[in-house]
Amino acid sequence: MPLAGTSVDPDVIRVAATLAKSNKAQVIAIHVIEVRWNLALDAVLDAETERGEQLLDEAAKVGTQAGVHIETELLQAREAAAAIIDTARERQADLIVLGMPFRKRLGRVYVGRTVTNVYVGAPCAVLAYRQEEVG
Amino acid sequence: MSDDPSKEGPPGLEERVTTVGARPGDRIVRIVRPSGGEFRRRGGHYVATTDALTARGRFGRWFQTGRRVLLGARLTSEAETTERLSVKTGLAIMASDNISSSAYATEEAMRVLALAGAGALALTMPIAIAVCVVLAVVILSESRVIRAYPNGGGSYIVAKDNHGVIAGLVAASALLIDYVLTVAVSSAAGIAAISSFVPAIHDHRVLWALGLIALISLGNLRGIREAGVLFAAPTYIYIVSLFALIAVGIFKMATGDPIVPAVPPDPFDAFGVQALTPFLVLRAFASGSVGLTGSEAVANGVPNFKPPEPKNAVMTLVLMGTIFGTLFLGLTFLATTIGVQPDQGEIETVNSMLTRSIVGAGTPFYYVVQLSTAIILALAANTGFTGFPRLASVLAEDRFMPRQFAFRGERLAFSFGIIALALASMVVVGAFSGSVTKLVPLYTIGVFAAFTLSQSGLVRRWIRLRNKGWRTSVIINSFGTVVTGVVLAVVVVTKFTNGAWMVLVVMPVLVALLYGINRHYTRVADALTLERLDEPLPIMKPPVVLVPVARLDRSALQALSFARSISPTVRAVHIATTAESAKRFGERWIQFTREIPLDVIESPYRSLLQPLLRYIERIDERDDRPITIVLAEFVPRNWWEWILHSQTALRLKLALLFRPNTIVIDVPYHFADTGHTSRKDERD
Repeated sequence: MPLAGTSVDPDVIRVAATLAKSNKAQVIAIHVIEVRWNLALDAVLDAETERGEQLLDEAAKVGTQAGVHIETELLQAREAAAAIIDTARERQADLIVLGMPFRKRLGRVYVGRTVTNVYVGAPCAVLAYRQEEVG
Repeated sequence: MSDDPSKEGPPGLEERVTTVGARPGDRIVRIVRPSGGEFRRRGGHYVATTDALTARGRFGRWFQTGRRVLLGARLTSEAETTERLSVKTGLAIMASDNISSSAYATEEAMRVLALAGAGALALTMPIAIAVCVVLAVVILSESRVIRAYPNGGGSYIVAKDNHGVIAGLVAASALLIDYVLTVAVSSAAGIAAISSFVPAIHDHRVLWALGLIALISLGNLRGIREAGVLFAAPTYIYIVSLFALIAVGIFKMATGDPIVPAVPPDPFDAFGVQALTPFLVLRAFASGSVGLTGSEAVANGVPNFKPPEPKNAVMTLVLMGTIFGTLFLGLTFLATTIGVQPDQGEIETVNSMLTRSIVGAGTPFYYVVQLSTAIILALAANTGFTGFPRLASVLAEDRFMPRQFAFRGERLAFSFGIIALALASMVVVGAFSGSVTKLVPLYTIGVFAAFTLSQSGLVRRWIRLRNKGWRTSVIINSFGTVVTGVVLAVVVVTKFTNGAWMVLVVMPVLVALLYGINRHYTRVADALTLERLDEPLPIMKPPVVLVPVARLDRSALQALSFARSISPTVRAVHIATTAESAKRFGERWIQFTREIPLDVIESPYRSLLQPLLRYIERIDERDDRPITIVLAEFVPRNWWEWILHSQTALRLKLALLFRPNTIVIDVPYHFADTGHTSRKDERD
């Protein structure tokens, strides 16, 4: 369950928790900090790390309230999609639950680069949850 | 990660593990965060969460639960502004001392005048007016103190800034003494008032007063805002009921409804036992001035208020003065007009007789007035609990009191100051057998000494700064200096033999103590302060390490291997009680190792510690490097198993604690440990 800190995150956590509860599955929430190329990959990015920790802690808290233990992982990578796919492969995930905040570009719903790349490259099933239309 | 631990940095709370991704060239850094949620990142540093404060052991958890029930949940430092006081709660918490003085100020003045006969009681009203004039001057001057020094500290800061350190310390010690006495007198007076209803508690009044102090301390340890909420209701009930009493009294007088004055159980001689001299009038004025105590608390605790702090503090101060002045003048007017006289035997108070005269004894209104009076007298102690810890924290910040007084507890209250005040006032209550009469003469000197110093300090300040309107300020504060100075002189002279001398003895001692504490801190700071932060770390040679070995066991082995890891210069020492055991230990040592030299000392008198200490001294003389003692300490699994072991290491540690040029390193060996260093590990 990748979390980017957008408004769709609470819905994604609830969907993942509901699915996990009925299947007695394990939920792993991950947040990927995309590191710019002009920085070392393991550079200490305090503000981004702090934000990532906060949203993972929040996810764990929401999971606990929903009765599911959520494991969390904070990652740094050049590209979020590759890190999500690699983590799914390494943790032998059965499903990736992705959140898509409702965004429009040129009058059409916009699907971001990360979602598209995960869809294409994931080694397992992918469930994309698109936020309902707002505004 | 490197296989060689020596090439890694020291372990941190966070670990960054780099793994290779599926695509060529892809890498991911996994940030392994501290487990357990005990630390959280914030702005480039870690923040300890409540999980980090949670006790691990059963007893610790019980203790924490009990503490939480008594004191409430922990508050973060950011919650400090929400713990501030509004004018409404500020009035209840800081003004209760001053407002409660209206319960006895009239009587105190009357009791002195009554010595000159019933006719002299007519002077009570002029004296009350004089006290109110002094109060107005004090409030006007204190409001200037608040505006000039919005960070609190009151008289201490004003005196220190304008007269110098010693004057500041005199003001501080005067206030500290007065706060202790406020708590002692108020709790004793509160219990005395309650014992009027419940005579059974009179014989145990000291115990009850101690219990009351403990209760108020507990309320204050829960935080100032909560204390304000807890203690607000009785203060407001007292104010409303007394105003109602005055209104009823004046209404009855205006409508011609006759009011028959209640007769005291033990009246004073109607013709008097003393002449009405100016000194007696001054004494009556000094006694009535007891009503001015507590007015300094607001200026001392400005930072306790919600922003804008100075404005809220001044408003509280003015409200306090207005309420006290109105109650005091109203009660005095009614008492003198109706003709209520004080009771010589202190069985019934003037206020009680006045209430009886106006609304009748046994009526619900009478009981409301008496009960609320009893409670506010008891809660007046709370003003001391607001003032003392705040002043002590300011003094601690200035290094005149131990640093602990500046630390805020888990509820953001100055816990150390609260506990110190509670203990000091308990001692005073115990020493004076909980008697209000014995305690009152000690009271008020401190307040007026502090007032006089701060008023004169402000005069110097205005003359120095010459701000807009400085001439008016100089006139007001000069008048304040003269008035409070005269009151101080009168109080000292008239109450000297009754116990005021004790305060005059304690005050300089306290000043010397505060000054001595500051000298100590200054010396320590001089010795410890780094002149430059870019100084390179001094390179120390490996130390001379001594390892006292009682027996050759796993605990000793661990200590020896640790000693060798920090220095190549390691020497073991063994104290034997007989020549035979010395020889036997030496032989075993040779079998054990030849790498670490051993000194065996035979102690025919079987003393272990002294020969070892002398040995350390002699070794230390031979080398200028700091001597390092590595102690092997066996730690049993359960606390009660400690008594089964001699704990020589612990005794040695204590003996070496203050020894200069000595580093003591404890290498604990836990009985439950499985990862101990074995000979096999050593050889590998």
